[in-house]
Amino acid sequence: MDEETTDVIQGTLDMLILKTLSLEPMHGFGVARRIEQITRDVFKVNGGSLLVAFKRMEREGLLEAEWRDTENSRRAKFYSLTRAGKKRLEQERTQWNRRANAIARLLTTEA
Amino acid sequence: MNIWLSAKHGLTALFGRKQHERELDDEVHHYFEQAMREQVALGIPPAEARRKVQMEIGNATFVREEVRTWGWEHRVDTLLADFRYAFRRLKNNIGFTTVAVLSLALGIGANTAIFSLVNATLLKRLPVERPEELVYVRSSSNSFSYPDFDELRTHNTVFSGLAAWGGISGSMGVGDETSLVTGAIVTGNFFSVLGVQAALGRAIGVNDDRTPGAHPVAVISDQLWHARFGKRADVIGSAIRFNGQQFTVIGVAPPSFQGAVQGQMRDIYVPMMMQSVARPPRAQFSGEMNANLLNRRNNRWLTAIGRLKPGTTAPQALTQLVAIGKEQERLQPADGGRSSTSAVIGVNEGLGDRTQLVSVSRLLLLVVGAVLLIACVNVANLTLAQSSSRKKEVAVRLALGATRARLIRQLLTESVMLSGMGGAIGWMLAWGAVRALRAAPPPEGALPIALDFSMDANVLAFTFVLAVLTGVLFGLAPAIQSSRPQLVPALKDQGIGANDRARKFSGRNSLVVVQLALSLVLLITAGLFLRSFGQTQLLEPGFDAERVAISALRINILRYTRTQGRDFYRQAVERVEALPSVQSAAVGRWAPLNGGNSIRSLLVQGRDGSEEVFSREVSNPTEIAGNAINVNTISPRWFETMGVALSHGRDFTTRDDSGSTSVAIANEAFVRKHFANTQAIGQRISLDGREGPWREIVGVSKDFKIVSLTEDPQPLVFLPVLQSHETGMTLFVRSRTASTTAIAAQVRSEVQALDRNLPLSSVNALSDLVSTSLYTARAGARMLLAFGIMALALASIGLYGVISYTVSRRTREIGVRMALGAQPIAMLRNVITQAATLALAGIAAGIVVAFSVTRLLTSFLYGVSTYDAVTFAAIPLVLLIVAVAASIVPARRAMKIDPIRALRSE
Repeated sequence: MDEETTDVIQGTLDMLILKTLSLEPMHGFGVARRIEQITRDVFKVNGGSLLVAFKRMEREGLLEAEWRDTENSRRAKFYSLTRAGKKRLEQERTQWNRRANAIARLLTTEA
Repeated sequence: MNIWLSAKHGLTALFGRKQHERELDDEVHHYFEQAMREQVALGIPPAEARRKVQMEIGNATFVREEVRTWGWEHRVDTLLADFRYAFRRLKNNIGFTTVAVLSLALGIGANTAIFSLVNATLLKRLPVERPEELVYVRSSSNSFSYPDFDELRTHNTVFSGLAAWGGISGSMGVGDETSLVTGAIVTGNFFSVLGVQAALGRAIGVNDDRTPGAHPVAVISDQLWHARFGKRADVIGSAIRFNGQQFTVIGVAPPSFQGAVQGQMRDIYVPMMMQSVARPPRAQFSGEMNANLLNRRNNRWLTAIGRLKPGTTAPQALTQLVAIGKEQERLQPADGGRSSTSAVIGVNEGLGDRTQLVSVSRLLLLVVGAVLLIACVNVANLTLAQSSSRKKEVAVRLALGATRARLIRQLLTESVMLSGMGGAIGWMLAWGAVRALRAAPPPEGALPIALDFSMDANVLAFTFVLAVLTGVLFGLAPAIQSSRPQLVPALKDQGIGANDRARKFSGRNSLVVVQLALSLVLLITAGLFLRSFGQTQLLEPGFDAERVAISALRINILRYTRTQGRDFYRQAVERVEALPSVQSAAVGRWAPLNGGNSIRSLLVQGRDGSEEVFSREVSNPTEIAGNAINVNTISPRWFETMGVALSHGRDFTTRDDSGSTSVAIANEAFVRKHFANTQAIGQRISLDGREGPWREIVGVSKDFKIVSLTEDPQPLVFLPVLQSHETGMTLFVRSRTASTTAIAAQVRSEVQALDRNLPLSSVNALSDLVSTSLYTARAGARMLLAFGIMALALASIGLYGVISYTVSRRTREIGVRMALGAQPIAMLRNVITQAATLALAGIAAGIVVAFSVTRLLTSFLYGVSTYDAVTFAAIPLVLLIVAVAASIVPARRAMKIDPIRALRSE
């Protein structure tokens, strides 16, 4: 594995999940892979943490789940964003941008 | 966190367990399956793929567990599982469970009982509105006269309302029944100042209190409504006869209302303006004129209570009230001065007669706390003994990956379950004890405050919290210790290694020593109290209690004129003296040891003194100021009837009447205080200020006990009833025989025959009064002894447990010794010696603690030093004997060990 891959911290994980699911409803493994894909392997998701995050976010009202039958296996649980989830994504995005800008300014100013 | 969603999901998981598990399974399975498919799609062979997936994601079961254990319902689940498991364990060890639960029940029950006493008497707040704004106002002589109070009420600006009340008693007639009731006479604003509404009808209001005699209305207590009116709604508007006059009932007070002071039952409230009918029983007045205490400045009988205006403090109020008093005195000087305000006290601090109750409660709480501690130690020891048999189980669980925290939590659940059961049983024990106490209440007047033991929600909460804390307390140490066994020896079922000898200072031994020490301290305390009680029993009251009976003559209710009153007393004495078994009879204002003394201002002729003139009735006066004196008004031959000798001069005679010189008799304490170096006979004193009348001392009597048996002699002055009329007297009867029971009924009927309207009064032996005054000492000693014995019993069980345990652990060693030729009797001696050593250690520690602690008991003890040799010698001996007795059974068991079997087993 790439040394630069890091375990995902919870707050960031939430945001990644929200973003991924904003594109289309998906099941657990799909979300994991998509996150790795989009972030070019910078963020690798731990399976257990991901599923626990789903559970948590479902109880926070950010996600809703639906069971769908799949062709050659048992059914699968597909998650999608609720309206509250979409709103949270926007909030997270704004907050992240604000923080990133602040840090960028900090790092580029001379002492 | 969305509460609703969280709850919904959690509950679904709890109640639809199977479905939930299946869904979780599916989800995890799908995850892994997708991962596998991805690998296979890349061309990796299945076996290799599976390995890669496992490496990357982890074990499927592990992941599933990780997801499953997240969420509040899981914590609930584990808690329930813990409970089920604990319950099973306790059921399987019924012996241990029983002993533990009973020990805890005793400890928790004792604490609950004492706490319910504390809760009901000390913590209970007056059931009035916003009690933090209410204050009692006290004068320098405790009470106010009505004119003085009225001035304060009119001129103050610190109170939104200032009210007053006085205690009264009278006869109340409902239908054909007449009985004696106690109550309060209150100003019109009394109920509104307190913020109390009538439960039925209305309370007395300001309009009922404008014109003297105009509004004969009354509010009755809920208890009276229940007892005399059967809780009928038509009580409102019904007529009752109070002291012979018709009153209308206008309201019923709320059930918990006891007037302005906790602990005194009041059955009737009447407006202040009805004072001429409803007299306080102890305010002196002459029977001829209609007693108008509303005009008399020198009769102080009212207690004042006020509600401070928002933002005003008690000190501010005090300053203003004192200033008002001074100003009024300047504008309108009063004969005999005004009562000046001396203190403004918040109602929640009480009227100051609770300090003794507070210290008693503190002592009792410490005692029962110690009992509970001993019980806890017992259970802790028992739990520890149990834990050695659970070593294997704990080791297996630890090996399987349980965390220590999880194990400790589970062990604590067991402890809390034990203490919960102990608490439930303890609560029932306390309830039973309280009921027994209620059925045998202390005799009237034995205690300064009414005891209440009601077990309300506070007490229940207390019991619950105590049970949980107890469980944690005794369970924590064993739990921590148990969860730390050495895995390998435990798993191999190996027993105690050679290094595991019983150390002298092992934890369990020291715990037992602590228990024994605590019991010793408790028992020594009990012993001291018993000795003190024994000493007080030896005290002489100074009068002949065995032969004298008393009965109250409440003629103030009948409103006799002075002449009629005098005649009544004379006739009562004559008729009673005519009875064959009566040796002599007399009347006196009050009886000793019965509360209710009369304090008046004192001036000695030729000496300086305060010009203030006052008279008031006080219960159990403790300190009398220099310008005041306790006074009893008596008829001739009172001293002879009471068996009190006169050391100088003469008794009163029938010639000492209103036409002759005013005279008085003083007791020796008075003479010692005021006439130490001079002859007392012939000196003159005045109880009514400089104007007199000046009374000449004609006799000196021996001292006797006035308030309590343990008091130092107090000064006392006697006046002849013919020169100082009273409207309520007590009849004193001296019987020829040694007991007074025979004459009681006869005396009663003689008195009754004089006036049919007189409410019946019981005839009591003075010896009853004496034993009543001993009540607190006796009850206290008994209670402490009970707790001390409880503590010793528990500690003995603890000792027995530890010795038993040691013997069983030493089975092998003892077997070896006996095989090598030691005599069984030597083994017996060995074990008993071990027990005795523990006991001696406990005694030593206990004596050290007792020495420092008993110092605090000085205020409770009479005639006994806090280092009393007898107690400190006897109690340790008792403890030693009990300890040895407790160890006999295990010792005999040690004796009977068969060496062969001992060596073979293990």
